[in-house]
Amino acid sequence: MWPNLVLLFVVIVIPFALAVYISFIDLDQYTLRSFFSAAFIGLDNYKEAFATAGLLHSIWVSLTFSVLTTAVCLPVGLLAALAVNTPFRGRFLVRSLFLIPYVIPSFVTATVWRFILQPNGAANTLLAKIGVDGGQWLIGSRAFWALVLVDIWAAWPFIYMMASAGLQNVPGELYEAADMDGVTWYQKVRHIALPQIRGQLLLGLLLTTLAHFNNFTLPFVLLGTPAPDAGLTLAVNVYQTSFQVFRFGLGAAMAVVSLILTMVPAYFYLRAARLTAAAGED
Amino acid sequence: MAANARHPQRLLPRWLSTTVIVFLLLWLLPVVYMVLISVSPDLDAAAGKLWPSKFVFRNYLDVWSTVDLARGLMNSLIAALTAGLIATVFGLGAAYCLTRFRFRGRGPYITSLIGLQSVPSVMIILPLFVMFSSIGSAIGVQVVGNRPALILTYLTFAIPFATWLLVTFLRQIPITFEEAAMIDGCSRFAALRKIIFPLAVPGMVVTLVFALLVGWNDVLFASVLTNPQTQTVAIKLQVFALGTEGGALPLYGQLMAASLISSAPVVILYMIFQRQLIGGLTAGGEKG
Repeated sequence: MWPNLVLLFVVIVIPFALAVYISFIDLDQYTLRSFFSAAFIGLDNYKEAFATAGLLHSIWVSLTFSVLTTAVCLPVGLLAALAVNTPFRGRFLVRSLFLIPYVIPSFVTATVWRFILQPNGAANTLLAKIGVDGGQWLIGSRAFWALVLVDIWAAWPFIYMMASAGLQNVPGELYEAADMDGVTWYQKVRHIALPQIRGQLLLGLLLTTLAHFNNFTLPFVLLGTPAPDAGLTLAVNVYQTSFQVFRFGLGAAMAVVSLILTMVPAYFYLRAARLTAAAGED
Repeated sequence: MAANARHPQRLLPRWLSTTVIVFLLLWLLPVVYMVLISVSPDLDAAAGKLWPSKFVFRNYLDVWSTVDLARGLMNSLIAALTAGLIATVFGLGAAYCLTRFRFRGRGPYITSLIGLQSVPSVMIILPLFVMFSSIGSAIGVQVVGNRPALILTYLTFAIPFATWLLVTFLRQIPITFEEAAMIDGCSRFAALRKIIFPLAVPGMVVTLVFALLVGWNDVLFASVLTNPQTQTVAIKLQVFALGTEGGALPLYGQLMAASLISSAPVVILYMIFQRQLIGGLTAGGEKG
């Protein structure tokens, strides 16, 4: 217990406090070596972040990105889980294959899609076959949609796994009773399966939204840096500000804001988790 | 539930489930394409051809000399495995206390373990980088780029996650097992060693695998905290990708081969531990 607490303190509490402190000082690559003597500038970093560093824009990009991708992943994952709920020949293989996009490391997914979406890549070759001129996917305003597409490609199996786990715990008697009443498949899904796995799905939704909001690897590798404006997510913006422009103070201010933003859904998650933990225990 | 597992319900009509399954399997075509390109001549790949004019397997040999993939794989393995082992050991100790003793702050502690997983990684790396570089300049040693710094950074995520996973595992081991052992004269430590530890091994394996996967897949921490000597395979691949894109004849065949090689360990681990890993991933939703 104590070793764990000490280690947690070293690797979590100190960095947190330090990040907040850095966000109030004027720290860049020149003052980095002596950061205790860097000038304390109060809220200036925060003001700059909102005024000129594109913080609001990045929040908007990350927010729409995470909401859009989650909104598409939900029905896809749910349908997938419902589809493989029955035994059929090759079910085990299909279930394993479903996981592939999720299992492949993000940096590989992004590398492959970056190649596919090149101006003369496979995507445009396919589009040309049906007479569409593909053009640029990774720069300009389309970069955002490329990001959404690739993320959906990779992320839906998580919802599928959550829904699948939930479906396995639905008592069979519920369906049997429904069968005797002769309900349609849609009614069975809508009124029996969905309410039973509601908790699992909500949790999956929250976790997916958070993971997408904080996702760094996919936009970073897919779009490269400096990222096109349309695809400049919050995480990449903080990274560029801190490790490419070397404005650590400004970057820390943006990081603190993104932490506060993720705390909102995290709060709901924790409340839900505490409720289930308490229910399961006593 | 057992009966249910033997007679799973058909929830969708056959036409709909077939459509969904076929559609999602077609969704995997980019993976097939990745494999195809990895055995294509470079000219085909650069021209955006969908099917190779001839199959060449040289890419899988050449790639090792084009990019220092072997060192990358080794670095990834060392960093991710060390972090995973440390997190599992510390996590087990903490999880044991959290599941066996009641003390003030226990609930919030468990809750914060989950909360920490939603902290943006950029929030962690920035202060750690500043800390590492000022410690480095204070003691005159280059800390940034060193492997221990990277491993310490992985621990920020691995420890809370490992502790949480092991809490969910240990909760399933009845406390009466140790009580019986202690009544028979075992000390608490002996009971821990002889009863709990063997029962917790499967949970520890899953935790280790998870921590390994997180480290292997990381790009952010490694891109800030490594130098060419310590770069993980994720960074090697990215450097290679950016380098080859600008070339006259991009080596896409080798790039895809390198992508497949660097995914292989992760995919294999997932396939072996599929059941347990899914159980761990979805654990948050069932009673903790």
